[in-house]
Amino acid sequence: MNPSIPPSSAEYGGGTVLIRRDEVSAIVLDPGFSTTRAGFAGEDTPKSLIPTYYGQYSISSQQKHIFGDDIFVTPRPAFSVHNPISRDGVVEDWEMAEKVWEYSFTSRLTGTRSGNFVLNGLDDLHEDEPSREMEGVELEEKPLADSPLLMSECGWNPTKAREKTIEIAMESWGTPAFYLAKNGVLAAFAAGKASALVVDVGASNVSVTPVHDGMILKRGVQHSPLGGDYISSQIRALFKTNSPQPITITPHYLIASKAPVDAGQPPQVTYKAFPPDKTPDASYRTLLEERTLTEFKECVVQVWPGPNRLSATGPNGVANEELAKSSPGRPFEFPDGYNQVFGVDRYRVVESLFDTKAAILDPDSPFPAPVQAQAIPELIKSALNGVDVDIRPHLLANVVVTGASSLLYGFNDRLNQELIQNFPSPRVRISAPGNTAERRFGSWIGGSILASLGTFHQMWISKKEYEEHGVSIVEKRCK
Amino acid sequence: MLASINNTSRLPHDLKSVLFNMPPFKDEHILLIAPGSQTTLAQLGLPESFTPARLHFPTRMFPAEKKGEFEPYKVRERRREAHSTNGAGIDVDMRDASAPADKGETKVALQSTPKLKAADGVAVTNKEQNSKSPLPEEVVYEEDIVSMEGAIYPMQNGRIADWQCFFSLLTHIYNTLSPPFHTPIMLISEPVWSARDREVLTQFIFEKFKTPAFCLMDSALAACYAYGTPTATVVDIGHGKADVTAVTDFVVQDHGRGIAVEGCGGKAMTDRLVELLRPKGFTREMCEQIKRSNITEILPFGTPLPATISPPKSSNTALLSSTGSLNGRPPMPRGPGGNAQPGNGEGDEDDGVLNVAAIVSGNTSEFLAKREKERAERTVSKKSDPMNKPSRLPNAKKDRASFQFEEYTRIEPQNGAFTTAGQYIRQKREIEVGVERFLLTAPSKEKTADRCSGGILEDLASQIHHTILSVPDSTKRSELWDSLIILGNGSKVKGFTTALISTITQRFMLSPSATIFTSELPSNISTPLATGGTNTPSHPGQTPGPFHHPAAHGVNPLLVAATHANNPIPATSANHDPAISTHHRSTGHSQTPTSIKTLKPPEYFPEWKDQGGSNAPVATGAGVTNTTGPASSGGRNPPTALVSNRGMEEAVFLGAQIAAKVIFVLDQGLSKGFLSRVEYNEGGPATIHESSFS
Repeated sequence: MNPSIPPSSAEYGGGTVLIRRDEVSAIVLDPGFSTTRAGFAGEDTPKSLIPTYYGQYSISSQQKHIFGDDIFVTPRPAFSVHNPISRDGVVEDWEMAEKVWEYSFTSRLTGTRSGNFVLNGLDDLHEDEPSREMEGVELEEKPLADSPLLMSECGWNPTKAREKTIEIAMESWGTPAFYLAKNGVLAAFAAGKASALVVDVGASNVSVTPVHDGMILKRGVQHSPLGGDYISSQIRALFKTNSPQPITITPHYLIASKAPVDAGQPPQVTYKAFPPDKTPDASYRTLLEERTLTEFKECVVQVWPGPNRLSATGPNGVANEELAKSSPGRPFEFPDGYNQVFGVDRYRVVESLFDTKAAILDPDSPFPAPVQAQAIPELIKSALNGVDVDIRPHLLANVVVTGASSLLYGFNDRLNQELIQNFPSPRVRISAPGNTAERRFGSWIGGSILASLGTFHQMWISKKEYEEHGVSIVEKRCK
Repeated sequence: MLASINNTSRLPHDLKSVLFNMPPFKDEHILLIAPGSQTTLAQLGLPESFTPARLHFPTRMFPAEKKGEFEPYKVRERRREAHSTNGAGIDVDMRDASAPADKGETKVALQSTPKLKAADGVAVTNKEQNSKSPLPEEVVYEEDIVSMEGAIYPMQNGRIADWQCFFSLLTHIYNTLSPPFHTPIMLISEPVWSARDREVLTQFIFEKFKTPAFCLMDSALAACYAYGTPTATVVDIGHGKADVTAVTDFVVQDHGRGIAVEGCGGKAMTDRLVELLRPKGFTREMCEQIKRSNITEILPFGTPLPATISPPKSSNTALLSSTGSLNGRPPMPRGPGGNAQPGNGEGDEDDGVLNVAAIVSGNTSEFLAKREKERAERTVSKKSDPMNKPSRLPNAKKDRASFQFEEYTRIEPQNGAFTTAGQYIRQKREIEVGVERFLLTAPSKEKTADRCSGGILEDLASQIHHTILSVPDSTKRSELWDSLIILGNGSKVKGFTTALISTITQRFMLSPSATIFTSELPSNISTPLATGGTNTPSHPGQTPGPFHHPAAHGVNPLLVAATHANNPIPATSANHDPAISTHHRSTGHSQTPTSIKTLKPPEYFPEWKDQGGSNAPVATGAGVTNTTGPASSGGRNPPTALVSNRGMEEAVFLGAQIAAKVIFVLDQGLSKGFLSRVEYNEGGPATIHESSFS
């Protein structure tokens, strides 16, 4: 090709591309209690992952909100942290939920719209076209004006919440097409299954969802609060009674300087002093403590892999607890420099997910002592009891594990042991992706697959249909 | 996963389009642009040995006469008497004007030719003159290349705030470099650009510049290419913001990425200096130059300030004790007696414009520049003699130090002056500063209203911690802590990197007892730290083999297998999904960081050798600066010390060149690193997300 000859028009499609905006891929939004995931359909991970928590503070008597990861990084004066979603997984504060969700896709995907910049700067290409006149029309473009939106919801989302969701998507965001899918179904799709028993271990909830032929079996859906946050509360309870000394978690932002200490020795640390009117709120501290606890869960905590409970006796007659004690401990250092090796305790903090009698009791904990019906094996039992006898074996052969808290070391081994004990059948089979991201974003990935399927196009609720039928259409169409 | 499936399924098609429709690209035809909020780097062609960017454009434009259009320089309107021209040719450089303005201007300028005379040095254009005034007075538009009055910065903290303006900047750069038609373009993208932003840019580039191939490369990834590492934590300190990115195996980790962390750039440091020094009579420009000077330093965490050793007695001595007779705000020294030199040979040399007058007088200005350089050297050596004696102490121990302040001052031409050009003189004087020069990163009062952290370094440290902790594959974290890349012009302040590392170490480094413990517990080899922090694989490129235990961290896998045999992991039953046993066992790894290191810059690019503190102050008004020598047209290099002052802080540009070489020249699109015009025509702007670099 001669570099001094311009490309011919045949070789270069030129302005025709402008019109082709219908190929825009849908946006998949998977709001959870702890994090909100958003991304384009067809991609393998959500581009945008933000905490569902948002920060709030006031500066010169003006209230400011902080969204995104910044809440973990920058302490702000009299900063408080809130979550628009209730522990049950249902939205409480719609106004803020809308803002958090909107942030999740505007920040990385669609950008905040200010006017129609798409045509800007290309004016000289279209000298003959009245492109200037179009600018006025689209000035008030809504954030999702040209992207279909697929959202997920938990299996027990009430009708009111579902109707509110479609209202926000259609009215505030202006999406041309919308669909609301159950996250259990999506997680099954992500595992490549149309029928499955989905065990989703999230931050605020553990849920067990029977899915048959891509439909959720409502009577079988079970959930309990024994999720990641509950495990955190168990770890805190452990720290209170820890020996050689009780442990308090002091997040990094409160520490001015520290000196290394030996294991088990009291920390040598100077704390930061904030003026009383500027001290960040306790909720902020809790959030950052949670960060340290996450690290603790990653590095130290381990699920007793079975067989049998931690408190029981193993197959060779040795108490499981003794076995656990003999395995090497794991060290952990806290932000203030305190460090210690954790032995058998690191099994105890998660044991109550399977055996609620093993729960470490703490009167100050926001979680009441769990009852056995809330343990994961019991949830699975009641979920199966809620569905038709004929499909039970099929579900048991397709147990899909998802959710970030299921990444706890040894979780799948133990779950497998429990299933074998409770349902002695050779065809019990757990499927859990090995990839961390696939496990954490199971329902988002399912949404990404679903929304990019050609056959899914007929499922969308279009803007026109919404305008015709109103919010109630979501109950009819998204089952 | 999905995307990769997509990619492979598309591959045959791409191959076809690439192999049959696409003649190979040549090194000299590749256009690289790396936009930043302050400076945009650009270069046409890859040299044999990669150099720092040839051109530095200030990322700003000035509103043109017509609304919605932009000019690269301030256009000043002046009225003056019209009288017949006497000689000096007119010079309107069309390459320099932004394209939309181009056509109009040509016409007008031609019309006005007989009536105008140009001063040497500054391009003069004249539009619509005489339309209103029948008087013997005409409106003259002149480009004022130093003034920043009314400048629009289209990028704010990395975000594109003004698309029109940004597009005309790109056009201006494109026109200045005037590449041939068969030029693939590589644009370095800011992390903060949203997916939609990238689509808009893609569309603009293809439809405006008709490029045959376009690559949008993430700046953090480019940094990894420059350092030749697949895994790194890239900390890019810019002007108004910083970006902190974890890259593992050449994959940018979107989650937990510190994107445009505000108030962590060079601007915040200048702000802090202004806050400290304004009460003492310093201007912002002075503070900016103090920041860039050698005497400014950021001391490592916990280093006492020299002032605390001997606090200054009176506060007003510090300040503007300048050399010679210049005190406070001195009257402008005109004569050659001062350090200043009338500047009509200087300002215009920064100008990207070629003009007849300058070429004609080229020798003269070179001569002037040379003379001034000699004089400056003489004065410096004269001065440094008496000053060196009392201050043998290292800079960090001195409670005050002085630097050469340099500024451009505009001379308003006198009545009837021969020239229409804005003339500037450059002045130098010595200014003394106290310990404020060590406090650049201390928390500023303004900021504490909004945040209660302990300054820039602390903010960055927490962001880095957050970013690394957010990497899902926890086995990578240790390596990320050991491969920090700190770059960006904000990091050029002396001592910045050291101070940042010491802050991170102080806050996050684990104490040895938490990692090495030879306590009562027998087999703790799975806590792989017995060797004192060298637990990362020594070859960052190595990928773990299929039997590599994730817990192993480079420890002998047999050893790990042996120790894990002791662990009470029960024999897994037959009906196990095989996925379970191979998944990432995050608990198989221990806490990080046990060591914190920066990566060594590559040594095989001689042009990129660290310029080590040659942080010569330079007035900030200068226009396009030409960095590297031989290819650039002679006589245009500004005489200031700026020329060789670019090092690894702009490594992103080095990475861009390496990547461009790889994807455009070496592998011919096999790695799907760029988007070809054919693909663009088929798939539209959104196709850019499928190319592997964005």
